[in-house]
Amino acid sequence: MRALRTAASGMAAQQLNVEVISNNIANMNTVGFKRQRAEFQDLLYQNVERMGAQSSAQGTVVPTGIQIGAGVKAGSVYRITDQGSPTQTGGRYDVAIDGRGYFQVLLPSGETAFTRAGNFALNGEGQLVTDDGYAVQPNISIPQDAVDVSISKSGQVQVITAGTTEPSIVGQLELASFFNEAGLEAIGDNLLMETAASGAANVGTPGDVGFGQLLHGYTEASNVDAVAEISALIIAQRAYEMNSKVITTADQMLSVSAQVKS
Amino acid sequence: MENAAYVGLSRQMTLRRELDIVANNIANADTTGFKVEQLLLGAEIGERARNAFVRPGVSFVLDNGIGRDYGQGSLEQTGRNLDFAIEGEGAFFELDDGAGEAYTRDGAFTLDPEGRLTTEGGAAVQGDGGDIILDRALGEPSVAADGTISQNGNPVGRLSVVRFDALAALEKGGDGLYRNASNATAIEATDAQVRQGMLEGSNVNPILEITNLIEIQRAYESVTRMIENTNDLSRRAVERLGRA
Repeated sequence: MRALRTAASGMAAQQLNVEVISNNIANMNTVGFKRQRAEFQDLLYQNVERMGAQSSAQGTVVPTGIQIGAGVKAGSVYRITDQGSPTQTGGRYDVAIDGRGYFQVLLPSGETAFTRAGNFALNGEGQLVTDDGYAVQPNISIPQDAVDVSISKSGQVQVITAGTTEPSIVGQLELASFFNEAGLEAIGDNLLMETAASGAANVGTPGDVGFGQLLHGYTEASNVDAVAEISALIIAQRAYEMNSKVITTADQMLSVSAQVKS
Repeated sequence: MENAAYVGLSRQMTLRRELDIVANNIANADTTGFKVEQLLLGAEIGERARNAFVRPGVSFVLDNGIGRDYGQGSLEQTGRNLDFAIEGEGAFFELDDGAGEAYTRDGAFTLDPEGRLTTEGGAAVQGDGGDIILDRALGEPSVAADGTISQNGNPVGRLSVVRFDALAALEKGGDGLYRNASNATAIEATDAQVRQGMLEGSNVNPILEITNLIEIQRAYESVTRMIENTNDLSRRAVERLGRA
């Protein structure tokens, strides 16, 4: 019976759905996290009776035909990149992006990764780095005698050193944007990698057309909506249960048939 | 004598097929833009179930086709600006997937590396003048109810939303796509509205489907019992007649 396999595909799909939802809920408080959504598509169809086929010798034609679907599959799991709310942290090196764009981070492998998590810190050499110690690109070094640091909306990093009153510019933060943000590949640690689907990074200054502005002293909260996730979880669970009912029904029907010859 | 068994068997076959279709409906209860289906049944008109000793009037069950309910699914807000839903029954987004024209109600679109608006499966979404190409540097695209896409207040294209006079002309192709199986031509759907940041859920009614499931199972059981009884009857007949 096809129904058994069809319902199994439905259960597998709902399981994936629950996995995606649970990852969203687990990352509810992750800085710069973007929620994901599983999107489903119907599987292929078998044409049992093709529409337009002749149904009698008199030339009558089947108007609708019979197509039987084979279940469901995950079409894609995509990231919804709407803005997370900026959260004031007062952190000296915390920067949130308000709008589009990603910070660039140099990985130890020499590749560039992208992130929305702007909770930066300094390393032993005074370089601006992420939580994991990866340098933010372009390199920005804060002098050791800096008393105060300020980062402007357009990404200019200024410091006031001891004994001076005039701020001096020590660097400029840049943002990267992509044609297809959903095509970026997540590699964990809040980092994303460029892929063929995302297109090449387009680097620009914060505040320019197509790029967001920076907010100093803030981090971007995740855009996970707890209420929406919980209701999605309920829907997924019920859908899973209904698919299992189909399996039970198909099984019982088969068993009824099997008992005929007793 | 075997008529009852054969007619019962024809009903069992259609019941199994109905179960397959209900299973597909339930599996797709959460599929974007999915349209629910059901099997249409009738009595076989051509050939009657025949037996020389039985008076005519017995017909086999025949599944003539499937009915697809193109009713509106519920709209779900996703907040993603490349998600679109159509409000309006029987209207579709027009696509070109390389193998020809295709139609879909699943408006979870994305951009390819060249900025072309495509489905998740890579089929190019069609606008008034072919593919729709967006330049993200111009700002976030916003889409009006008639499908006009604008960036920064300037119109840059228009989503083509079409419908067919006879929806039976459409054939499901999987992956949320419909294909035109007849030579009917698509016409512009002027009454349908495009909603940005939303997706259309399936129009599967779970309660109805579970009820169908119960009905199918019970009908199957009772037909099976009827076949059993028929078997019993003939066995007893053979036993008694054989004894004489």
